[in-house]
Amino acid sequence: MASRVMTALRVKATPLRAFEAFTAEIGQWWKPNSLFAFTPRAPGVLSFEGRERLIETREGGKVFEIGKVTVWEPGARLVFGWRQAAFTSDMATEVEVLFEAVGEETRVTVNHVGWDSVPTEHVAKHGFPEPVFLARHGEWWRVLLGRLREHVE
Amino acid sequence: MAEKRALSSALVYLDPKAALKFLEEAFGFETTLLIEDAEGNLAHSQMAYGDSTVMIGNEWTGEHRSPASIGGLMTQTVHIQLADGEGTIDDHCERARKAGAAIIAPPETQFYGDRTYRCKDPEGHIWTVSQTVQVMTPDEWDARDMGLKTTVYKP
Repeated sequence: MASRVMTALRVKATPLRAFEAFTAEIGQWWKPNSLFAFTPRAPGVLSFEGRERLIETREGGKVFEIGKVTVWEPGARLVFGWRQAAFTSDMATEVEVLFEAVGEETRVTVNHVGWDSVPTEHVAKHGFPEPVFLARHGEWWRVLLGRLREHVE
Repeated sequence: MAEKRALSSALVYLDPKAALKFLEEAFGFETTLLIEDAEGNLAHSQMAYGDSTVMIGNEWTGEHRSPASIGGLMTQTVHIQLADGEGTIDDHCERARKAGAAIIAPPETQFYGDRTYRCKDPEGHIWTVSQTVQVMTPDEWDARDMGLKTTVYKP
């Protein structure tokens, strides 16, 4: 898990509030991206099921498990697995989200690692050279964090 | 902050990851995007300061060179403008010095009302840091007898 996509920004909220918005309210600010769909079906709504796992629930009720939560520290740190339906068992990526107080704001940092476990020719990479794929993924995370910020503020 | 701006600079470093650390420690920039390849090498990164961004990269083509590779030369420098309430130029300079910057022009109040200093980062990029300490008009600049005549374009 060496390759890394890192994005960060500040939100006007406490670390605890930012954590709560990221987890309990993810379905409200998450925006699907057709390049990074979890399944070949129409995208559903994301939610954390308890403190156990991140899931996508499609219209009609079918559930896809994106990944299990491995760290749940409200107001500080969240780590969960992230896989697409087309991944084989030896492919896995992981997302770490950090919440750090900076004055009256919170710096939210996303570290998404492990995309090097997915071969460049895999359908998930869309034929992009690795740096381009990672950069586009980073841009998407930036959009997502921007939406989280709008949601919180 | 950190949205895509109409203009931003891309700086080239031999060791861009060390540059990220320096720019954070020296100037308080914050990394907003970092892409690392499977070997952990930096492929692309961006830092934010106020409402602006700079991109920090490596020598990714034969035409992109750090000053450290070409005898300290450069064709552009980056200017940092401190807003009111963001501390003083002198404190900023001291922080940069402690982080490893070489101060090449110590803090000095200029005839146009800004206090400025210039420094070089560890690979030789020159940074100018400025803060308005006295709001002055162009007529007042000219009255300082600097041998300058200021003409302000009025559309």
